[in-house]
Amino acid sequence: MTPVHALPPVIAAHDLTKTYTFHQQTAGLGGALKSLVKRKYETRLAVDRITFDIGRGEVVGLLGPNGAGKTTTLKMLSGLLYTTAGELEVLGHTPSDRKHDYLRRIALVMGQKTMLWWDVPAMESLLLHKDMYGLSTAEFDRNVAELAELLEVEHLLNVQVRKTSLGERMKLELMAALIHGPEILFLDEPTIGLDVVAKARVRSFLADVNRLRGTTILITSHDMDDIEALCSRVMIIDRGRLQFDGGLDDLVRTAQPRKLVRATYATPVDGTRLDGLDGVTAVDVDGQTVKLEADRERAGVVMEQLTRLGPLVDLDVADADVEDIMRDLFLRRSTLGDAS
Amino acid sequence: MTAAEIAQQSVYRGAWIIFMLANICVPIISLLIWRTALANGAQLPVDERYITTYFVLLGFVTMATSSWMAAFLANDIRLGKLSSWMVRPASLLVKFVANNLSEKFLKVFALVPMIGIVWWIFRDSMNLPADAGRWALFAISIVLGAVLVFTIDILIAALAFWMDDVGALVQARVIIASVLSGAVVPLALMPSWSRGFVDHQPFRYTVSFPVEIVAGQLTGRDLLAGLGIQLGYVVVLGALARLVWAAGIRAYSAVGA
Repeated sequence: MTPVHALPPVIAAHDLTKTYTFHQQTAGLGGALKSLVKRKYETRLAVDRITFDIGRGEVVGLLGPNGAGKTTTLKMLSGLLYTTAGELEVLGHTPSDRKHDYLRRIALVMGQKTMLWWDVPAMESLLLHKDMYGLSTAEFDRNVAELAELLEVEHLLNVQVRKTSLGERMKLELMAALIHGPEILFLDEPTIGLDVVAKARVRSFLADVNRLRGTTILITSHDMDDIEALCSRVMIIDRGRLQFDGGLDDLVRTAQPRKLVRATYATPVDGTRLDGLDGVTAVDVDGQTVKLEADRERAGVVMEQLTRLGPLVDLDVADADVEDIMRDLFLRRSTLGDAS
Repeated sequence: MTAAEIAQQSVYRGAWIIFMLANICVPIISLLIWRTALANGAQLPVDERYITTYFVLLGFVTMATSSWMAAFLANDIRLGKLSSWMVRPASLLVKFVANNLSEKFLKVFALVPMIGIVWWIFRDSMNLPADAGRWALFAISIVLGAVLVFTIDILIAALAFWMDDVGALVQARVIIASVLSGAVVPLALMPSWSRGFVDHQPFRYTVSFPVEIVAGQLTGRDLLAGLGIQLGYVVVLGALARLVWAAGIRAYSAVGA
């Protein structure tokens, strides 16, 4: 199999920048009246010179706190927004030209916006897509059958969309987005508001789509479980800047270079023997349980020390939770940013 | 797509009957008022046959050339709903054209029987040209009128790319158009000093002009000149709408996630 990065990138962004202009209005009647006469316009830098390449078949998570610029980036990539500066090429096209040849090869799913018509069954929207994307009847039937089976929505295709639950609707949205077999799928918070079962179903479906069809997926999500389940690579955007671009493992190692260790003993142990041990921090002893953080390189030595503390019943070594890492990362960045 | 729109809109079948009843009520009331005025000796530049034909046809022409798109399109722009359409390989306006056509299709079912009844009641006091050519021009003029109204709607709605709310503009246009299109008072009854303006402003060609083709009083020369002006407005406003729309798309901020 050819490595992903050996192929030319399907998305190439260089110094991608987007600014928004908006007017500010003070609250209250006075502010409203003042804004009638004179408006104060401000420019906000939403995306600030970010550069990246994405190869065919990659699944990339775009992460960042609210207002970081990730949705703006996704909108520029899908052609909804013009770029303010920089170069952007997706599948050989400039997305904002919105050439039909380009739009036929991509799809965008927004968790908070519907692509389906509410008052009619989803099949009507699918048939509309069949015409819009110029699918043959055979191709359409095959795709409908395949996607409906993967998503388990066969029984929903002829039900009015507004009568379906949120989870069911998202599955139908995904089906409508993928019916034409796009090469790139842009997903903006696809699991927002879904229950755990529906989230799991959507994640496994997306993984299948990537595996079976080789679809490149770019996903923004605040749910770290989505990212862990799907993405081999993450890009962290904060205040419009690309702060990290690499594997999820690298992110964990960089942001949290310690392992979390939890040891459970048959009898209460004396944890003070661990104090001062090189590479060990945050020791927490609670009767028969010891929790600590250890440097990756010192993990072996620490394990050995733990086996000497007492009769070991259970030993659990894990990386820090991605959700916690992200929270720490965003908090740290915003504190640093506020201080500067 | 139009079929899908019809499927979607036919869910609200009750609403169509009410819409159309409202659509035909104003012309009938106006017709009765003007006929009464004429019967009481009012001196008007047109006769009873013209007034009767005008108001009987008015409900149909108003319906056929109307568009309710401006407010919906402006809303889609303001709330970022246009995004769903921008990522699909089709004209952004295809949804609105289909919606407009399906609306007309469903309205015809509700409106034609109502107009048929009014027609039958007043059949002896109407000008009905025997010449099939006039009816063909009437049909062409209605199509051009519908395109003109649609184009004006796009122009107004496209301002939502820059303005927070175009509701006031939409409302102003409805009020101005209802007077200047001849939907309330026949333009033939407007004061003579306003003739030059009234006859050449674009709203005349959205309602009044098609009705005038059948109701009478237009010479062959008037007809040709009128159709030329109507086509001119369609081309000029169409080009302007295209320019404004293209500039608007550049300014689009695709609000919301």
